[in-house]
Amino acid sequence: MKEYSIIGKPTPNVDGPAKVTGEAAYTIDMTLPNMLYGKLLRSPYPHANILSIDTSKAEELPGVKAIITGKDTPGGKWGLWRRFRELSDQQALATDKVRFIGDPVAAVAATTEEIAEKALDLIEVEYEPLPAVFDPIEAIKDDAPMVHEDFPSNINATRHIEWGDVDKGFAEADYVREDRFVLEAAHPCAMEVHNSLASYDKGTGRLTVWTSTGSPYFVQQNLAEALKLREGDIRVIKPHVGGHYGGKNSTMPDAVNAAILSMKTGRPVKIVYNRDEEFTTTEHRTAQNMALKIGLKKDGTIVAFEVKTMTNGGAYTGLGATTLYLTGTFITMPYKIPNYRYDGVRTYTNIVWGTSIRGFGAVPAKYCSETQLDRAAKDLGIDPLEIRRKNAVIPGYEAPGQYKFESCGIQPCIEKMAVRVKEKWPKLEKDEGIGYCAFAYMSGGIFNWIDTPYAYSSAHVKVNWDGTVDLYSQAADVGQGHNTVAAMICAEELGIGIEDIRLHMGDTAHAYTDLGAWGSRETLMNGNAIKDAAAQVKQKLIDIARLKLGENIAYDLVAKNKRIFLELRPERGLSYYDLVKDAIRANDGVPLTGTGHYTPHNKGMISPAYGMGIMAMKAKVDRETGHVTVQDVLVVHDSGQIINPLGARGQVEGSIHMGLGYGLCEEMPMDQGMLLNPEFVDYKILRTRDMPEIEILDVPTYEPNGPFGAKEAAEATIAPAAPCVANAVYQATGAEFYSNVLKPEKVLKAIREAEKKQKASKATGK
Amino acid sequence: MKTIVTDFEYLPAKTVEEALELLAQHKDDDYKIIAGGQSLNTAMKHRLITPEYIIDIKGLSDLDYITFDEKSGLRIGALTTHRSLEKSPIIRDKYPVLAEMEENVASVETRNWGTVVGDLCNADPAVDPGPPLIALDAKVTIAGKGEERVVDAEEFAVDFFETLVQPGEMVTEIQIPALPPHSGVCFTKYSQIHGDYALASAAVLITLDESKKKCVNARIGLGGVGNAPVRAKKAEELLKGKEITEDLLAQAAGVASEETSPISGIEASAEYKKDLAGTLVKRVGKEALARAQKA
Ligand SMILES: Cc1cc2nc3c(=O)[nH]c(=O)nc-3n(C[C@H](O)[C@H](O)[C@H](O)COP(=O)(O)OP(=O)(O)OC[C@H]3O[C@@H](n4cnc5c(N)ncnc54)[C@H](O)[C@@H]3O)c2cc1C
Repeated sequence: MKEYSIIGKPTPNVDGPAKVTGEAAYTIDMTLPNMLYGKLLRSPYPHANILSIDTSKAEELPGVKAIITGKDTPGGKWGLWRRFRELSDQQALATDKVRFIGDPVAAVAATTEEIAEKALDLIEVEYEPLPAVFDPIEAIKDDAPMVHEDFPSNINATRHIEWGDVDKGFAEADYVREDRFVLEAAHPCAMEVHNSLASYDKGTGRLTVWTSTGSPYFVQQNLAEALKLREGDIRVIKPHVGGHYGGKNSTMPDAVNAAILSMKTGRPVKIVYNRDEEFTTTEHRTAQNMALKIGLKKDGTIVAFEVKTMTNGGAYTGLGATTLYLTGTFITMPYKIPNYRYDGVRTYTNIVWGTSIRGFGAVPAKYCSETQLDRAAKDLGIDPLEIRRKNAVIPGYEAPGQYKFESCGIQPCIEKMAVRVKEKWPKLEKDEGIGYCAFAYMSGGIFNWIDTPYAYSSAHVKVNWDGTVDLYSQAADVGQGHNTVAAMICAEELGIGIEDIRLHMGDTAHAYTDLGAWGSRETLMNGNAIKDAAAQVKQKLIDIARLKLGENIAYDLVAKNKRIFLELRPERGLSYYDLVKDAIRANDGVPLTGTGHYTPHNKGMISPAYGMGIMAMKAKVDRETGHVTVQDVLVVHDSGQIINPLGARGQVEGSIHMGLGYGLCEEMPMDQGMLLNPEFVDYKILRTRDMPEIEILDVPTYEPNGPFGAKEAAEATIAPAAPCVANAVYQATGAEFYSNVLKPEKVLKAIREAEKKQKASKATGK
Repeated sequence: MKTIVTDFEYLPAKTVEEALELLAQHKDDDYKIIAGGQSLNTAMKHRLITPEYIIDIKGLSDLDYITFDEKSGLRIGALTTHRSLEKSPIIRDKYPVLAEMEENVASVETRNWGTVVGDLCNADPAVDPGPPLIALDAKVTIAGKGEERVVDAEEFAVDFFETLVQPGEMVTEIQIPALPPHSGVCFTKYSQIHGDYALASAAVLITLDESKKKCVNARIGLGGVGNAPVRAKKAEELLKGKEITEDLLAQAAGVASEETSPISGIEASAEYKKDLAGTLVKRVGKEALARAQKA
């Protein structure tokens, strides 16, 4: 493999010092002169007609500067599925009716947050409650209440995926099993709540919005629709973001209403959700019911697989329709499945809506398929690791019409796992078990529901006289470390240091378009764009160097260690800094620039590349309390050429934390559409002391579609965490789980159930 | 939940006298005492309470103490934080069970600011200090202007978020008698997440006779399994006067479990919590016995 100067070296986060000293500015830290505070009045009903809204008392409250209701908004509907107008179903404030508890009906701007909150209490809304529907299976019944009038069946989206001949596959199977699952919802719980600051300039008719988002470009587009303005008249700036986790792709009412209130008052307006609003009105991981049928040969070879899912979509679309599709694809990875059929239905219901939370479809899907696989393996008498090895894909594998793996290290990952597990956990104590799960995940999505006319990612590099570089892109660092990755890729390509690079990221007015941070796309897609831009500049420097050196044109020149030199005669070269000066002089005084872009072509339906690997967890079960202690985690991971090992490690650890939460304790119980645990006392998140040791082994591959051979490292390892725990408990006790969230009481019940079964089978065995 | 609490008049006190004076003045008003505010602020943001006056006692440094002597035992002033209790050399030496308990109360941030007495006065049935204080036979001093009374720890909380403290009164101190020889105490709580409120908790004290065979005294406190921390008196009786075997402990655990009346919630069902209480008594009792044998 190639020797890099920067790529692959553990590099501290470029934003680290600012973040740990508190200097980094997040939207939530920002104020502007004359700024007003906005608050949203929200529906207490899951489904109701709005009969009247009386704001007169609230308007009299001193300090209140504007109050708006649905009729005062420009009325544009928006959504991320812009390509399908009927799925652009969000609106600033409900006009005719509310669709979930928390749907906003009015917004207030006042001189203080206190006054704004008080004003909400003075607004009188008359509702006519309507029958509501909370369950996806109820939602599709003929007599179910209609959430959106233009969707009489409450079906928001459907997805069908099929290849091979499934029925023939099952007919050829020696063993067939069916399992049904109920998956709970989970909230992303970003530390920084949704919040936006909008400033409208009445003179020019231009709007600037600072917001905590994963995609400034999506917000720009959605604001244009919601406000009926031109995209170019809106500037969206993404400051530092205190966590995304999938919950910050959609444009939410905070940004839109702050903008409308600013347009009304001519003053900057800021809206910050409180934690309760964050839990009850922002997007979560979708609850769903899944049914799986798998057919295998006696030797464990999978011959047919059929999956059906019905998701509790909630009141609006978000990225739920994409999640539905990805549920059906990730559930097949990384296995060779000759015959496959998937049908997914996403329903509208009267709850807050579900979307693309980290692991985007893979998380519920893999929970079901990998726990099912363990049970099949046990019935067939095959070792759980062996059944995964046997079915794992090889490089070049193609799921017809869907996806293709180019770089693909899953087989070596499993081999390495087999060796390491024996060394690491040579002996299990009583009530301990090891659970496995293999996984694969995209490095950015190929889909264009947003209907962008622009390249998926772009970047602009400007080299100044002194050799410093300005790098511009809308790509979003949301805490995952993309700024560091961007600087590293740019520096490596130019052969300089990351200290030479100044970043200008996440501002729609100052940088070229990138679709944002979702689907683990920034490293590969923005990385390619940056590398392209930097390579253009590098070429100019190489041309000058060639001219000055006067060498044989057959010789290759490289940029490294701030020099440009002959690859095979490193002593013959010139200083980068001198070359930059020469090049600018030769360019009539214009700084060197390159504009790079990337849009995947001919890479199937999903992604140009896939991170993958296998995870194992050792867990111990307390048979009296039902407590599951995850003692140790081992991950063998193929992330291609890792750009920043420190960042990649952080992403894997964070994914496992979030995935374990999904498997053990995070849940969103609701009663008639009302969330019962909208605060951290009742919504349980694993703490530092609950986290096991995590060992990560890499199996590097070279991904031809990625910059320097890189692919995703941010999300692949979330999905396997929960099935690993469930499988570990299964291996230790025989307890079977048909839903996630292994709370102690559930574990205890499942253990008792398993004990009963074991006794019964022993009795019949006699 | 709201972002901002309702308006109130803020009345800080610097001394116990000042505090008692303020309490007497506002006896008939809608007021609340604030110490560390860890529980109070949340209740106010939820509008569960909307007091007109807040009497701030956090500045009563004269009530921030931990003292011990063999005769009068341990005294914990009402402004002692969880963290002070956890780190106190006196506690670590004489009542290590309290330090063990503290290590799993909330997070360090909450322990740094929240007081032990505030935790008791908030009267969540799952309050961690509740069961060990019952097992240790603690007393609580409640003071009003010109008067003072002392109540048993097990009587202190009367219902969900309700205590014996009356309008115009405040708690000033907790007292714990010195432990008799050959005593062992242990406490544990179970929650799925570290530092979370208990699904159930149990504290057991066992005192053995000279020969370290027979149990001469036993006290059992349980948390999270009723409308207030409970004392499992029937289970205690079962142990007293007998040589404690594993069987006997299991039996006592079963009886203790029957002395609870938990309610179901999103975290777990009542049946589960009842079972859990028994399991914890068995485990903690075993450890308490081992400690008594070593003491
Ligand atoms: C995130 C979190 C997690 C927690 N986890 C746990 C846990 O695991 N275990 C546990 O036991 N506790 C837990 N708690 C509760 C915490 O221990 C209490 O909030 C804290 O100790 C209360 O003390 P305070 O000084 O902040 O009281 P405040 O919040 O100021 O007051 C609490 C109540 O007590 C009253 N009060 C306070 N002092 C007196 C006094 N001297 N006399 C009369 N009334 C008084 C107040 O009027 C109020 O009603 C948790 C709290 C939080 C916020």
